[in-house]
Amino acid sequence: MADETLALTSAPAQSSDRRKPVRVPVWDRFVRLFHWSLAATIVVATATGFFAAAPRIDIHIWVGAAALGLVVARVIWGFLGPTHARFSDFATDRRTIFAHLSQIAAGKAERHRGHNPLGGAMVLALLGLIVAVAVTGVVVLGGVFKSGPLAFATSFTTGWNVRVIHELFSVALVVLIALHVAGVVFESWRTHENLARAMVDGRKEARPKDHASGMKGARPVTAIAIAGSLLAALGSLAWVSSARLPLGVPTAALDPTYAEECGDCHNAYHPTLLPRASWSALTAGLDDHFGENASLGPETTQRIASYLMANAAEAFDTKPANFFRQIDPLKSFTITATPFWTQTHRNIPTAVFDRTAVGVRGNCEACHTDAAQGRFYPGAIDIPSEATP
Amino acid sequence: MKIIYPILTAAALSVATMAAADPARQAIVDFYANAAGVTDFSAEGGKSLFETTQVGGQPDTNVCTACHGTNHTDTGRTRAGKTIEPMAVSANPARFTDLEKVEKWFRRNCDTVLGRQCTAHEKGNVIAYFSSL
Repeated sequence: MADETLALTSAPAQSSDRRKPVRVPVWDRFVRLFHWSLAATIVVATATGFFAAAPRIDIHIWVGAAALGLVVARVIWGFLGPTHARFSDFATDRRTIFAHLSQIAAGKAERHRGHNPLGGAMVLALLGLIVAVAVTGVVVLGGVFKSGPLAFATSFTTGWNVRVIHELFSVALVVLIALHVAGVVFESWRTHENLARAMVDGRKEARPKDHASGMKGARPVTAIAIAGSLLAALGSLAWVSSARLPLGVPTAALDPTYAEECGDCHNAYHPTLLPRASWSALTAGLDDHFGENASLGPETTQRIASYLMANAAEAFDTKPANFFRQIDPLKSFTITATPFWTQTHRNIPTAVFDRTAVGVRGNCEACHTDAAQGRFYPGAIDIPSEATP
Repeated sequence: MKIIYPILTAAALSVATMAAADPARQAIVDFYANAAGVTDFSAEGGKSLFETTQVGGQPDTNVCTACHGTNHTDTGRTRAGKTIEPMAVSANPARFTDLEKVEKWFRRNCDTVLGRQCTAHEKGNVIAYFSSL
């Protein structure tokens, strides 16, 4: 019905200039703003996720959260917005999609002023996949980095395994975006209309043979129900999460005796950076400690040894604790010579370690501002720049 | 005019005792003097022990100045990158005021640098050297 009205009102303009049909509003302001904002967040999230250095993790997290927020708003708008923004306008069944495909192949497919069945399916797939990437991202953030709303309930192992799914979904999203762009290019060529431009100014040509699209009534009850239940779910998650500590994260400050005695000569490495067997051997051999006599009185040695035993890598669930737990205790105690350390620091140039504020590889605190807490969150890395002489 | 003599005497005494003014440090010096059976320590002997390259300890650290540096009013640096406070008492008044700490570091560092323990005489000489700077 709406299309009829539009076609009628546009009739005089068409007759006055046949080569320039009237362009009517199709994509409302919200849909356009949503589309390009989502595109921007996904570009930044993908770029930071695949290529950025570890300290940039917070950018990745925030654009990912923004993308999820945009998708949620779009879902609600899908029940409230004008006709072509509505799910009921473009969400169809498999039969319609295949019928449209075979019509394209036969060269006689209809032109849809909103999304065609294939385009509609793509919109739903993209929205669903972005939600999946975001949710798996929150699980990884909670389990591996012990941060975000699920940190209180997610083990490292869960986070580390879900990381693979997060990455697979992300690759699938890139593939889907490529198909989406290819679809836009193809449909623009097929219907002789720049569809990307339509997503900028919101208008598309009104043509007499367009697929008949009925006026879609808004469903405010559904929209409110979705918004309300999401709000309730997120609110209670935030409430539960804020009252609980991240799972398996050390909370106590370094033992003062340990920090003083060991910190006199070197960085007082957090106890979670070595397994019990390594600490045990180290504290038993302080008179030959990496070539130096670092002996302590028996009481002090005993006190430090029992502190290290109680707080070693086996006792916590942080990422460093999980990896340093696995090192061969008989092979090497040198934390900076372990496979995990060399792997995670492979992109740091040697010159960085020579900087005045760093000095040696074992000076964790120089860059990891949360080293003393045993956290080692990537976003807490702050590599000191070299002071100009 | 007679009043000048007591003042001069007081001034002379205070200069003489300034380096070892801290009673805690004096107690440590006395402890080593008693243990070594001597009445006086040699700053020259301390300087020689501290700044001569030694044989018998770790090749990487065969001289005290490897970590402590040669300017004793300035800081040194351990092999693992930690700052060592100045050795000179004038720059670091807390130096040699805690017998337990003094013993701990002589025990560790003499072993590392010399491959043996230092004698009470040697320890007293080193303290005399850094008290004179």
